[in-house]
Amino acid sequence: MMENMNIIVSGLGGQGILFMTKILAHAALSQGCDILGAETHGMAQRGGSVISHLRIGRHQGTLIRAGSAGLLLSLDENECYRNLAFAAPGARLFVNLDRQLRPAVDAYLKDKAMTWHSAPATAIARQINAPFSTNLALMGFFAAFDNDLFGADRLRHVIDQLSPERFRQVNFKVFDAGLAYGNQLKP
Amino acid sequence: MTQEQFMLGNEAIALGLLEAGCQVLTSYPGTPSSEILPETVKLVQAHRLETYAQWSTNEKVALDNAFAAAVAGKRAACCMKQVGLNVAADSLLSAAYIGIMGALVIISCDDPGPHSSQTEQDTRLMARLAKVPVLDPANPQEAREMARLAMQLSERYQVPVILRPGIRVCHARQNIGFGALKSVPQKASFGKDPARWAATPKFRLELHGRLNEKLDQISAHFDTLAHHNFHTLAPGRSYPLGIIAGGVPYAVVRDLLDEQKRSDVPVLKLGAPYPFPRKLADSFTAACDKVVVLEETDTLIEYLLGEREKTLGRLSGHVPRQGELVPEVIGAGLNKAFESAGLPPLTQQQDPQVQALTAGLDLAVRRPTLCPGCPHRASFYALRKGRAKTIFTSDIGCYTLGINLGGVDTCLDMGAAITMASGFYHAFAQDQVHQPIIATLGDSTFYHSGTAGLLDAVYNGARFVLVILDNEITAMTGMQPTPGLGLRADGSRGKPIPLERVVKGCGVDYLEVVDPYDIKAMQKSVKKAVAYTQTPDGGIAVIIARHPCVIAYRDRAIAVKRKVTVTEDCVACGHCRDRFECPALGIDEQSGRTGIDRQICADCGLCIQVCPKKAIVEVEQA
Ligand SMILES: Cc1ncc(C[n+]2csc(CCOP(=O)(O)OP(=O)(O)O)c2C)c(N)n1
Ligand code: SF4
Repeated sequence: MMENMNIIVSGLGGQGILFMTKILAHAALSQGCDILGAETHGMAQRGGSVISHLRIGRHQGTLIRAGSAGLLLSLDENECYRNLAFAAPGARLFVNLDRQLRPAVDAYLKDKAMTWHSAPATAIARQINAPFSTNLALMGFFAAFDNDLFGADRLRHVIDQLSPERFRQVNFKVFDAGLAYGNQLKP
Repeated sequence: MTQEQFMLGNEAIALGLLEAGCQVLTSYPGTPSSEILPETVKLVQAHRLETYAQWSTNEKVALDNAFAAAVAGKRAACCMKQVGLNVAADSLLSAAYIGIMGALVIISCDDPGPHSSQTEQDTRLMARLAKVPVLDPANPQEAREMARLAMQLSERYQVPVILRPGIRVCHARQNIGFGALKSVPQKASFGKDPARWAATPKFRLELHGRLNEKLDQISAHFDTLAHHNFHTLAPGRSYPLGIIAGGVPYAVVRDLLDEQKRSDVPVLKLGAPYPFPRKLADSFTAACDKVVVLEETDTLIEYLLGEREKTLGRLSGHVPRQGELVPEVIGAGLNKAFESAGLPPLTQQQDPQVQALTAGLDLAVRRPTLCPGCPHRASFYALRKGRAKTIFTSDIGCYTLGINLGGVDTCLDMGAAITMASGFYHAFAQDQVHQPIIATLGDSTFYHSGTAGLLDAVYNGARFVLVILDNEITAMTGMQPTPGLGLRADGSRGKPIPLERVVKGCGVDYLEVVDPYDIKAMQKSVKKAVAYTQTPDGGIAVIIARHPCVIAYRDRAIAVKRKVTVTEDCVACGHCRDRFECPALGIDEQSGRTGIDRQICADCGLCIQVCPKKAIVEVEQA
């Protein structure tokens, strides 16, 4: 766990961005970190762009400044692009995507030494008959690559704590499917 | 026992209110304030407190109720969004003169941006107008502390105190620990004193004088309010530039300077900017050749600072006059000021290359739309069809998104669908023109401020169709109950007051109730209503379009689920996508015909009624 970390979670209204942020926040909280977050409510929740800022460490302000996010999780390809300006040099990006990144973006990420990983999170969730759990599929996918921030076990534990009883098993299943997809991609 | 939670700013405010012994809380919902009351109710129930909480019909009603409780010696609070304080302004200005016995905290939440409001107005200027103290927190933890402080100040000086959190405080989250909460025993009592509680103009002058004295005392108090008003000057040193900031911008400034190790620039934080802590501010400006002011959303501190030549900010063009002060904007503003003062700039982390890149990708802008299955969509479709010349006055709520269906021509403020309809009517009638007008507004908006306008319109003989879009909830702001429902803030039953009774009570003779899910029936009903407005002894025709919101009433809103599919009869005319504008209707890439997005389709089946070629059909049940 590092001292300071800025995380951007983005997507569209209704995709469960707030729940993802909550999982990450509680994972940080369980390690004794200070956290600040900023989320979107109101009009945009009716299907518009939704973005959530999460800041781990000692800060005062809730908004992440352009060029200073180390991690970006995105449930929608376009929303990922729209928020690229937040990424710090060397940032890691995880995107819900079932094809290649646009070439211009790919070139930019390479140029800035950023790494990115994509998974068809929507399809993964749908396969398990949980079409509204794309968020957890992407979370599992991210967990496969996350050795230093939270780790898969901790994230799984937080999901256990935060899930309402009737969704717990499904949530685990989707998370694990995302995790398995990620593990199989790893070198 | 202390527990730590990742708490929403509005929850932290609720916590602060209860820690301060708040006994009465009233509110009318509005982004970004809406969660304060429900979070308070949750804490009250979890800790078995006696605090009374109510959703009021509008902000003036809420403020008057809380004011009376405070006159009776209780610790009361009232919360709303910033434009709500406009509705309650009449009460606020008078309450400041009269003062209270217990405590009265008014929480008015600002929305720089604006993200979800009609204006970007600055509540601190309203506080200045009303001559009441205002506190401006930088983050949830400070908001919680300031909720407590506001209650103490109000009780001590017997004056209402405003807490002004911005949207980045209300909808921010922070880890916050708290312990047990206790009820306060203060009992209601009313000491008759007509000279004060019902003051005539002569006494008002005296009360005004007393208020001014209180403000002097509070200003001195704010000079030494070290935790929220302080500066970082080194003794005896002078500086080319100092920064004065309050609220959310302060937090951004602090982080920026810390990250870039710029201890060469001193900061004056003003968390309590009015009544202005003059001595503190003067000592700061005296040590600086220039000062730059960063405050949201308007110019309170900048106006109140004495030395115009020294001051940089909105008036000097260093800070934008509209829009949210997000970190990048603050960074740019500071650099302008640093340059004016001959200081080295902050390193900007924003990379110009990425802006060009994203601009080049031509990303479609996601506009908000009514939910799939939303009854408002059916209503607007029925209203709009064949009425290109009609003026559609509308109002504020989810249904403002009827603009996407061409069913919303105006939106001013709550209740204006009716008042503007009558205004348009008289303006055209004066020229002997019969202009067709259809007004739409939601149930909550009607209870909030529909009746005064409707009484006026009936009384003065206006003619138009009023459609009350009754989805049985206040949807836009997060599903709060309305008086029609008879459900109260704590979940208990209240007396339901049906719209029909209110409408009739306003003197309306023509009233019909329809279910907009039956689009044909709705169209017929509108046609009849329009005809009534044109008959010699006709007048205002009211239609209540009643169907539950599909989000609030997931189980009963769509009684019969209809899975639909598109047949080969689809000629790709786009009528359904353009005129019905359901987000589940898209273009099937393979066939070029309309396609259904299964992921978001609500199975309401409404589009079956819309397709002119009857190409949208129900999937046969196997
Ligand atoms: C004076 C004022 N107070 C509060 C608000 C916030 N607000 C926006 S829409 C709305 C109510 C919407 O409810 P309703 O009229 O029932 O329409 P719905 O969203 O359910 O379609 C409120 C309270 C506002 N814009 N102005
Ligand atoms: S929340 Fe309810 S009223 Fe608002 S758009 Fe969705 S269905 Fe319509």
